[in-house]
Amino acid sequence: IFFSTSRHTMDKSITLPPDEIFRNLENAKRFAIDIGGSLTKLAYYSTVQHKVAKVRSFDKATKVNIPEAASDKLYEISVQEEVTARLHFIKFENAYIETCLDFIKDHLVNTETKVIKATGGGAHKFKELIERKLGLKVDKEDEMTCLIKGCNFVLRNIPHEAFVYAKHADSEFRFQTTQPDIFPYLLVNIGSGVSIVKVESEDKFERIGGSSIGGGTFWGLGALLTKTKRFDELLQLASKGQHTSVDMLVKDIYGGSYGSLGLTGDLIASSFGKSATADKEFSKEDMAKSLLHMISNDIGQLACLYAKLHNLSRVYFGGFFIRGHPVTMHTITYSINFFTKGEVQALFLRHEGYLGAIGAFLKGAEEDNPNQYSWGENYAGSSGLMSVSPDMNPMQRARSGTFDMLEMDRLERQLVNLPLLQDPSSYIPDTMDLTEDALAREYWLYCFEEALDGVVKRAVASQPDMPEAAERAEKFRQKYRHKLQTLRHQPL
Amino acid sequence: MAEFVRLDSSTSRHTMDKSITLPPDEIFRNLENAKRFAIDIGGSLTKLAYYSTVQHKVAKVRSFDKATKEAASDKLYEISVQEEVTARLHFIKFENAYIETCLDFIKDHLVNTETKVIKATGGGAHKFKELIERKLGLKVDKEDEMTCLIKGCNFVLRNIPHEAFVYAKHADSEFRFQTTQPDIFPYLLVNIGSGVSIVKVESEDKFERIGGSSIGGGTFWGLGALLTKTKRFDELLQLASKGQHTSVDMLVKDIYGGSYGSLGLTGDLIASSFGKSATADKEFSKEDMAKSLLHMISNDIGQLACLYAKLHNLSRVYFGGFFIRGHPVTMHTITYSINFFTKGEVQALFLRHEGYLGAIGAFLKGAEEDNPNQYSWGENYAGSSGLMSVSPDMNPMQRARSGTFDMLEMDRLERQLVNLPLLQDPSSYIPDTMDLTEDALAREYWLYCFEEALDGVVKRAVASQPDMPEAAERAEKFRQKYRHKLQTLRHQPFAYGSLTVRSLLDTREHCLNEFNFPDPYSKIKQNENDIALKYYQKAVKSLEELSWEERQFALVRGVLAGNVFDWGAKAVSDVLESDPEFGFEQAKRQLEERPWLVDSYDQWLERLRGPPHKCALFFVDNSGVDIILGVIPFVRELLSRGTEVVLASNSGPALNDVTNGELQILTERIAAMDPVIQAGLREDRLTLVQSGSSSPCLDLSRLDKVLAQVVRERQTDLVIIEGMGRAIHTNYYAMLSCESLKMAVIKNSWLADRLGGKLFSVVFKYEVPAGKPSQGSAAVTPS
Repeated sequence: IFFSTSRHTMDKSITLPPDEIFRNLENAKRFAIDIGGSLTKLAYYSTVQHKVAKVRSFDKATKVNIPEAASDKLYEISVQEEVTARLHFIKFENAYIETCLDFIKDHLVNTETKVIKATGGGAHKFKELIERKLGLKVDKEDEMTCLIKGCNFVLRNIPHEAFVYAKHADSEFRFQTTQPDIFPYLLVNIGSGVSIVKVESEDKFERIGGSSIGGGTFWGLGALLTKTKRFDELLQLASKGQHTSVDMLVKDIYGGSYGSLGLTGDLIASSFGKSATADKEFSKEDMAKSLLHMISNDIGQLACLYAKLHNLSRVYFGGFFIRGHPVTMHTITYSINFFTKGEVQALFLRHEGYLGAIGAFLKGAEEDNPNQYSWGENYAGSSGLMSVSPDMNPMQRARSGTFDMLEMDRLERQLVNLPLLQDPSSYIPDTMDLTEDALAREYWLYCFEEALDGVVKRAVASQPDMPEAAERAEKFRQKYRHKLQTLRHQPL
Repeated sequence: MAEFVRLDSSTSRHTMDKSITLPPDEIFRNLENAKRFAIDIGGSLTKLAYYSTVQHKVAKVRSFDKATKEAASDKLYEISVQEEVTARLHFIKFENAYIETCLDFIKDHLVNTETKVIKATGGGAHKFKELIERKLGLKVDKEDEMTCLIKGCNFVLRNIPHEAFVYAKHADSEFRFQTTQPDIFPYLLVNIGSGVSIVKVESEDKFERIGGSSIGGGTFWGLGALLTKTKRFDELLQLASKGQHTSVDMLVKDIYGGSYGSLGLTGDLIASSFGKSATADKEFSKEDMAKSLLHMISNDIGQLACLYAKLHNLSRVYFGGFFIRGHPVTMHTITYSINFFTKGEVQALFLRHEGYLGAIGAFLKGAEEDNPNQYSWGENYAGSSGLMSVSPDMNPMQRARSGTFDMLEMDRLERQLVNLPLLQDPSSYIPDTMDLTEDALAREYWLYCFEEALDGVVKRAVASQPDMPEAAERAEKFRQKYRHKLQTLRHQPFAYGSLTVRSLLDTREHCLNEFNFPDPYSKIKQNENDIALKYYQKAVKSLEELSWEERQFALVRGVLAGNVFDWGAKAVSDVLESDPEFGFEQAKRQLEERPWLVDSYDQWLERLRGPPHKCALFFVDNSGVDIILGVIPFVRELLSRGTEVVLASNSGPALNDVTNGELQILTERIAAMDPVIQAGLREDRLTLVQSGSSSPCLDLSRLDKVLAQVVRERQTDLVIIEGMGRAIHTNYYAMLSCESLKMAVIKNSWLADRLGGKLFSVVFKYEVPAGKPSQGSAAVTPS
C-alpha cells in the first residue's frame, strides 16, 4: 500500500511491510548508499536488543545457605537482554528511492548521524534529494574502492559466498569454501562497461583492464536491434533465441571444422556474420542471443587473458550484467571454460549486488574497525540468492517483492581456522551437500518440516512464565516454514 | 579484346567508378609463358597468381678479341644487346564479379600446356572450384588457408623493402614505412576477416593460432547492416567516417561528470559502447551508429592483440584481412587502439600487399620444387599498381585510371641479396636520407625535377638505339608510363613504400627496361671510358711527382672532380651536353675550395699517416673520368700502402654508372699499362665484385651475397662510398661498424640549398665509429 507508485505494475507490488524491510531503523547509525543505474543499495549499522540465555554456577557461599527448596541443580539459568551489532543491507529499484527516503526519515531517531556515505554512478544524480529528504550530508566515496572493500568483506565473512555456475548440472550452483587467504584475485565488474581489477590485498588494487563492450552494449545494441527497451526482457528474448541463424559459424565457411587450427565446426567464426549478406529478417530472439554470446565471449576472453598475464587463478564476476541472471552466468562460465580449457573457473558472488554499499559503509565505519571483527550472515533477516530474478517462479517472486535484504551480525569473538587442519583451503565442514544431492535434500527438508511442531512446542515450554511465548513461537513457525519452502525452490 | 568489352560499366554490379579502363592484356601480362597458377578467392575479391618468364633486352659489354682488335676501330670494348629471360611473379586482384570473364580471358591466352593444376585457397575456393576446372581445364588443388596466408606474409616481409608500414592519420605523411628487418621472426599476425584470427609466427614453417575472436569484420558488416540498413561494407565505412560516436556511446564523463582520475580514465574514454542507446528514447543517425560500431570492434581487437602480444612477448604485430585492407578508417582506429592499450609500446603494422598474402602463399606451396624462397625477389614498380589504388577514398581520377584491378609483379633477382655485414645496426638502418613521403616540399621539388628531366631521358633512350626505327615509339610509351607513375606518386606518395629519390630513380629504370631500353647510356659510357683511359697514364704520372701530402689531397680532389661528371644530375648533363669539352681540369676548378661544406679531410689525412687499413670496400659511381681518373688512382694509392681493395659496382646498368661488366674490362686495360694495378689483380689484393643493384643509389641492406662474403673474409675495415646517389641521397647518415668515407659533389642546387651549401659544394665525411679510436690519430668527428 505504501509503495503503490511503481513504474511497472506487473509483479512490482510490495507485499512486505516496510518495517520488515528497513529493520531496526530506530537504532540505526552510519548510513551508506550505493546508487547504480537501476538499483539502490542502502546500508546501515544498527544495534539489536535480544534475549540471551546465560548459565551461572551457584555461589559456593550462598549455596550452603540456600534452603533445600532451591533444588539440587548444578547451575542456574537466567535470560538476559544483550545488545549486538548488526549490519543491514537493503536493495530496491531506483524508482522507490524517494518513498524509501521518506520512510527512513520518519523512523530515524538517532540524531548523531550527520553523514551518509554514497557511491555508485547515480550518487551525484540523487545527492540533492538525499540531502533534502534525510537532512544528512552526502559524502561521496570512490566507486571502485567501495566495490573492492565490499568484495573483500563478503569473501572473508560469508562462507559459501562464491559459487560456480553450471547450467546443466544437478545443482546449478556449486559453492566454494572460504579460502584462508582471499588474495590475490581478479574482479571483473560488468556494468555498462567492463572493469577488470586485480586485487592484491585489503588496500591494494589496480584496474588492469576494461572494455567498452559490457552490459550497456547488450542493452543498447539490443534495444536498437529488437526495439525492446527493458534489460530483463532482452535477456528473456536471448534465452529463447538461436544464435546460429545470425552468427557465421566455422562450418558455414569451411563446411565443417577447421581441423588444422583446432576450430570445431560449431564455433562462432563471426558474430552477426550472417546478417552481413543474408537478405532476410532476423528474429528478435536470435539477434538478442547472438548479441549475448558475442559480449559474454568477449568478456570471457579478456578476463582469461588478464588472469593469465597476471597469473591469477580466482576470477570473480559481478555487475548488473551478471547479477541474478543465470543466462549471463551461463554464457560467461562457458566462455571462461572455453578460453582457459577449464583451467580457470568463473566465480560469482551471492551478495555481489551489495559490494558497493558494503564498501561505502565500511569506509564510513573505519573508526569502528569492522574488519577486526568476524561477522555472520543472519539467515533470518536475509532474502537469499536470486529472490528477485525474473526467471524464478512467480509465487516466489510475488512474495519477496522487489526488495532484497542482507543482515549480518557482529560475532562476539573473532573466528579463525583450527591450526591443525591439514589443508585449510580444501576443508569442507559438511559431510553431505544437499544442494547437489536432490534425494537427500528432499528427505532432510521433509524431516525438518516434520520436526517443526516439536520445536515450537519445546520453545513455548521453555518460557512458561511468558504468556506471549506461544504467539512468538507461532511467528517462528511461520518464518522457518517459509524459509524451508524457499529452500525447496532455491536450495542455494 | 572483344570479350572484355562486356566488363564495361554496364555489367558491373555498382555502376559508380567501376568501369575498367585498362585493356586486359595490360592486366594479365605475360600469360603466354605462364605456368604454375594459384588463386585465392575471398568473400569479395579474387587474387590470381602466376609465374611467368619475361624476355627482355640487356646490354652486355665484351672486350674485342685481341686478334680482331686492329680492325675493329679504336673502341675499348663492344656493346651488344642480348635477349635475356627472367622469372617474374604476377599477382592480380579483382572483384569476384569479374571472375568468369577473367577465367575466359586466361583460357584464351594460356598456351603453355604443361600446366595441369591450379592451387586454390580462401573461403570462396570451394564455391568456384567447379567453374575454374571447367573454364581453365585445370585441376583445382586446395591449400590450407592459414598456411598460405603465413607463407605469403613471410615472403613479402622478406622480399619487399618497405612492405610494412605504420599508419598515422594526422601526421605529415599518413604512412611511415618500416625498413626490412634482418630477422622477420617472431611476429604476430592479426587477420581480421569475418572473424579474427591471431597467429603467432615463429619461423618459416612454424605458426600457431593462439587466439581469435568472433567480433570481426563480419560483425561490423552484419551489425552495421542491421542497424543502418546499409548493405555494402564500403558504404558502412563511409558512414562511419562521417559519424560521431559520442552520441551513441556512453563516455566516462557521461557517468562521472568528468574523468575518473583515481583509475586513470579520461572523461572522453568510451565507458560503454552503445551505452546511450540503452535508455535514451531517440533515433540515432546511421553515421553515428556505424562510427560507434567501428570503434567498438577496433578497440576490442586492439586490446586482444595487445594482450596476446604481451603474453607471448612479441613486439611486431601485423594487421590484415578485409576489415583493414586499404581502409584508412580502420587502420586509424586499430592504430589508435593499439597505442592506447600498449601506451605506445607496440606499434600496429600494416602490409602494402596484405591482400595478396593468400595468393602468394598458395603459389609458393605449388612452386616448392622451384625453391622460390632460395632466391631474392624485387617488386617491379613498372608493373605494380601501388598501395591503395582501388581505395574508395582515393580521388576519382586515380580511381578511374586503375579501374578495379590491382597488380603486383615481382622479378626474381639474379643474385641473392643480404645485409652489408659492416652495418652498425641492421635493424635500424635506413638507406634513404630524405623521406619524400614525409616532406611535402622536397616531394614537390623532386617530382617536378624528374618530370622536367623526362624529355632528356626519352631523347637519350631513342639516341641509344639509332638502328631501331620503332625506338621512338617505345620511348614515347615509356614517357607515358613514367609520367603516369609520377602523377600517381603526386597523389599517393606512399604507393610503393616510402617515396625517395632512390625509388623515383629505380621506378624510371624499371620503366625503361619495360620498354626495352636496357641501357640508354651504354654508348656514352663507352665513349667516356675511351677518352678517360687515354689520360690515365698522364694523370698517374703527375700524381707521382707530388709530395706525399700534396698527393693525398690531389687524389681526393681527383675523386671529387671525377664525380662532377655525371649525366644523372640535370645541372651537369646540361653542361655536358652543351659543352662536350668540359674536362677534368675544368671540373677541378669548379670544385669548392676548402673548407668544404662537410670537411673532415684533416682527420682523414691524419689517419693516413697511421698504419694502412687492412681492406677497403669502395662503392664506385660513374664511368669515364670518374672511375678512371678519379677512383682508380685513389685505389692505386691504397694498394701501394698495403691496403687490399674491393671495388663494388652495379650488377646492372643505371644511368652512366659503371657496371661490373664494364669495370672488369676497364681494370684489365689499366692493368696492362699500370704495374701497380696489375700486381693488385694478380695477387688478388684488388678484387671486383658486383653490388647486386641496378640503381644509381645504394641500399646497404640488399647487397650481393658474394660481396658480403668477400667483405667478411677480408676483414674489411674501411668503407668508401662515392657520389651523390650513394653517399647523399642514400647512406648520408648510415652508421657503419668500421671507418667510413663518404665523398660527393652536390650537383643539384636545390639539394645544395637544403644542406646549406651551393652548387658543386663538397661533402667529405670521414667517420670512425664511437668507441673505436682510429689508429694513429685522435678521435675524429666530422665538422
